[in-house]
This record gives sequence, structure tokens and C-alpha cells, in this order.
Amino acid sequence: MKNIVIGRYIPGNSFIYRMDPRNKIITMLILMIATFIINDFRVMLIALLLTLLLLPIGKISIKRVYLGLRPLMFLLLFTFSFQILFNTQGPIVFDRELNYSILNLLLIATIVFAWFFTKRYVPFKLIYFLFTVFIMLYVLINFELGNVFNTGNIRIYQQGLELAFFIMIRLIIIVTLSTILTISTKPTDLNLGLEHVLKPLKIFRINTEEIAMIIAISLRYIPTLLDEANKIMLAQASRGVDFTEGKLKDKVVQIVSLLVPMFIISFKRSDELANAMEARSFVPGRARTKLQELIWTRMDTIALCFGVILLMSSLIMRVI
Amino acid sequence: MAIIDMKNVSFQYTANQKALSNINLTIQRGEWVSILGHNGSGKSTLSKLLIGLLKPSEGEIMVDNTLLNAETVYDVRRKIGIVFQNPDNQFVGVTVRDDIAFGLENLQVERKSMVDKIDFYAKKVGMYDFLDKEPSALSGGQKQRVAIAGILAMSTDIIIFDEATAMLDPKGRKMMLDYMKQLNQDGVTIITITHDMKEAVLSDRIIILKQGKIIKDDLSEAVLRDKHTLEQSNLQLLLPLDILFELEQLQLSNERIKEILWELSLNA
Repeated sequence: MKNIVIGRYIPGNSFIYRMDPRNKIITMLILMIATFIINDFRVMLIALLLTLLLLPIGKISIKRVYLGLRPLMFLLLFTFSFQILFNTQGPIVFDRELNYSILNLLLIATIVFAWFFTKRYVPFKLIYFLFTVFIMLYVLINFELGNVFNTGNIRIYQQGLELAFFIMIRLIIIVTLSTILTISTKPTDLNLGLEHVLKPLKIFRINTEEIAMIIAISLRYIPTLLDEANKIMLAQASRGVDFTEGKLKDKVVQIVSLLVPMFIISFKRSDELANAMEARSFVPGRARTKLQELIWTRMDTIALCFGVILLMSSLIMRVI
Repeated sequence: MAIIDMKNVSFQYTANQKALSNINLTIQRGEWVSILGHNGSGKSTLSKLLIGLLKPSEGEIMVDNTLLNAETVYDVRRKIGIVFQNPDNQFVGVTVRDDIAFGLENLQVERKSMVDKIDFYAKKVGMYDFLDKEPSALSGGQKQRVAIAGILAMSTDIIIFDEATAMLDPKGRKMMLDYMKQLNQDGVTIITITHDMKEAVLSDRIIILKQGKIIKDDLSEAVLRDKHTLEQSNLQLLLPLDILFELEQLQLSNERIKEILWELSLNA
């Protein structure tokens, strides 16, 4: 419980850290839009390279970005293979026949078993998985063991291949950029930046200041409530509730024994907090001055201009 | 000069039970008043009425010659600060600095004077070195000191301590009492709501509430000696006074008294 980190801010110092949060959000959005406009493969690679270059320049831990990407690996792989297998436009770049025979299928089953039982000993699981898939395809294409009772074709089309790479690089760029944002900006600064960036929503009568206040208070109280949850879990454990094991039915009981007191405590807390805030002259919706100051530096202007230039050039390239 | 004047104030949460009935109370500027009472005596309701978190069902409240009503409630809140019991539930900011700033931001103080005020009052309560700390890194007493700094920064004339020391350890409690003393010397009107006699001893005047009624309103010295009233409202006599009364009743020789005191101190 103690290890939960709110946001992924890591203290550091570089020009990215010093940038105005408003600008960080806007520039990030511009760059993300640019990656969606780019439709040339070489330009896309340059964009990826530029994004990855930001990491060493901005002194942002590459490991952290990788950790941010890892949960998305499955999604990346899925969209990649989906595009490759089911997009049937453009010229064919790869066409092989797959041989299905009983012995072949048995061999494949053996490979799957071997993969399944050895994968826990291999450090790079994804690469190992891809390697296994490759071996399986290789077997199906090149081996003709016994009676081949059926054949099928594997065809990869040019557009499928291109789109697959495009989507993958786009996702990588987007995740890297947003990870850079969350790593280099304190949650409170991010919140303040968002409040300013979302100000135009006032036209739709959405009070962004109130939303920002709600987020700020949530940020403030998450650690307190986690602490509380810990205490309740200990208290319930001392009464015999076992949080570590149990069947689904027991789990439900465990969670209820945690949630009910949590809800009651949270409501009581929020009531007292509301009183304390009102007592200190807080009036919802009334203008407030701000202690936190957002400073727009020359670096911000440069970064913003850079982002706009990239966006413009990708637009122009697409039109040409 | 009266800074708080309550006339015939009543309040009820539900239709048939009055939390406070017919309260008449005048508090002078610069006074230190303790409001004593057991749980459910209506003492916290009283503080919520004063700051306009609750609206009296009957009667009127004047704060610094302003009648408290829906229009003036925000002006009144500029004059009264309140420190609540639970240090965690009144800490609004993510850091100490943010929390002291919260009230100032609400009063629309300009950023520059805000920064000066935060530094000044953080120094005053001895929390200057903790300005960038998060509440989870502070003790209960430190959080309450931050709460005091936040109220001092708003320069209110009255500070209510609503059982503000109840959740603190002895060290934190002592420190809070020292701040109260100092603030009172600086001319701040102080109202402490408590059921701790040791806290009440320090004040000029004690008001005892029981079931929503004022049953005693007198100078501290007089109230503290009033064994009958204190027992009636489930409050404990201060230990030294308790011993004194017991000994007076027994009419013993000095030698015997010394012996008894010696035994007591050994057993305590």
C-alpha cells in the first residue's frame, strides 16, 4: 500500500523540468497532433528519433519511460499483428504457404508447451514470445512432416505493414511524451497548468477552478486515506479477517469489511474538511488569488515555436 | 467593549430536541473564555453558530457590532478563525506553505504580500523550516501549529479553539497552550472549547454548558472551586483542588496532611 505513487513525478532538474506546465501540456498536445498528421514513413522515424532524443537532453530516466510503455506492449503487439494479418490493401510483400499436417501440429503444440514452461526463466519475455511465434511460423512454412491434409496462405500486404508500423510508432511517441510530462511535472503544478489550459471551457459554463480545487484536494487526501485504509486493514486483521488469501466469496467479504468503514470515514472527513474550508473564508466559485506562480520563460517560447514548426511542416508535407 | 454578543440564541438539529436553548452570552475584546461541557452539551454547535456554519433557529448574534446573517457571514468569517479538533481534516494544502496560503487566497490577498505573510507567520509558530513539507511528514501538534499560522495570517480578531488539543500528545498540547497564552497577550480574543480542566484553568472566564444551557458563567477561579456545579455537569475537579477540599473536610494536623500527600505521590 505504501508504494503507491501519485502521479509519476521524479524530482530532477533540466530545461523540461523548468518549463511552464501550461506550455508543457500545450506543446505535448501539438506534438501528438503532429504525429497523427505525418503520413510519410521516413518523417515518422525522424519524429520518433526526436522524441527519444528528448529523454537524454531533458535528463529523464529512460527506464521510467520503458516502464510506462510496458503495460502497453500487449496493445502494441495486438494492433501490430491485427494490421499485418487483416489489412489486405496494396501489393503483396510476403506470401508463403502454411502446411498443416498432424505431425506439424504436434510439433507446434510441443513448442507452445516448451514456451509456456520455460518463459518464466527468460528475462525478455516479449522477445522470447516473438521468437516462439517466429519458430512456429518457420515450422509451418518449411516443414512437411507426414500427410499434409490442408494448406493455407500467409500474405502480408504493403499497406498493412506500413499501417502496423505507423500505429506502433505513434503509440510509442504518445506514451513517451506523456510520460515525460508526468515525470517532469509535480501533480500540483500539472493541476494548475490544466486549470489554465482548460479555461476556454468557461464558455460552456464549466467552472475549471472548482474542478482544479477538487483535484487538488483529492491529491492532498489520497495519502491520508491510504493510511486510513492500512489502519482499517490492520484492525480487521486483528479481528480475524485474512486479507491475503481466500476464495472469491471470502474476498468479497474482505473488501466489504474494508470499504464500509472507509466510506463512513471519508464522508465524516469531507464534512469536517468542508467546515474547515468554509471557516477559512472559502466560497465555492468566488475568485481567489494564487500562491503558486506560473512563470513563462524564453525556453517556453522556443519550445512552443519548435512544436508549432513541427506541426506546420508535417501539415505541409502531407498536403504536398 | 463587546466583540461577541449572543441574544436569546437557540438552535435545534431536529424538531423536538434543542441543541442550544436561550443562550445569552457577551464576550469582551481581548478576553480568554473557556467553554466547558461534556459531550453533547452543545459546545461545538456554539462555535459553528459563531462562524456562521449553522444558522440559529432563534435569537441573534452580533460579532464586532455586525449582525450575523446570510449577507454578513463572509465579513464575520474574516474576524473569526477556528482551529478544529482533527489536525488532518483541516489541512487543505498539499504542503505547509499551500495550507497557510489557503485562507489568504480566499481573501484575495496579492501574491507578493501573501509570500511575506506566510514566511512571517510560519516563523511565528516555529514552522518556517517545514514550509515545503507534506502533512504526512508532520506530527499532530505541528499540523495544529500550521492551522494556527493559517488563521493568524488572515489576522482575525477572534480565534476559537474547538477541542484543538484533544488529539495531541502532552508535548503538543503544552505547546498549543503556550501559543494561546501568547496570542491572548497580543490582544487576540480567545475562545477555547474543551472538556479539559487544565486548559480551562488558563482562561479568564469559564462558561459551563449542560444540555444546551449555560449553567455557570463566572471568573475561572470561582468556577474551578465550584465543586457542586462541576460534578453536576460531569466535569472533574482539578486534582490539587480536589485534594485540598478533601483535606479541608478531614481537619487534620499538618503532620498528617504531609503524610497523606506523600502517600498519594507514591501511589500516583
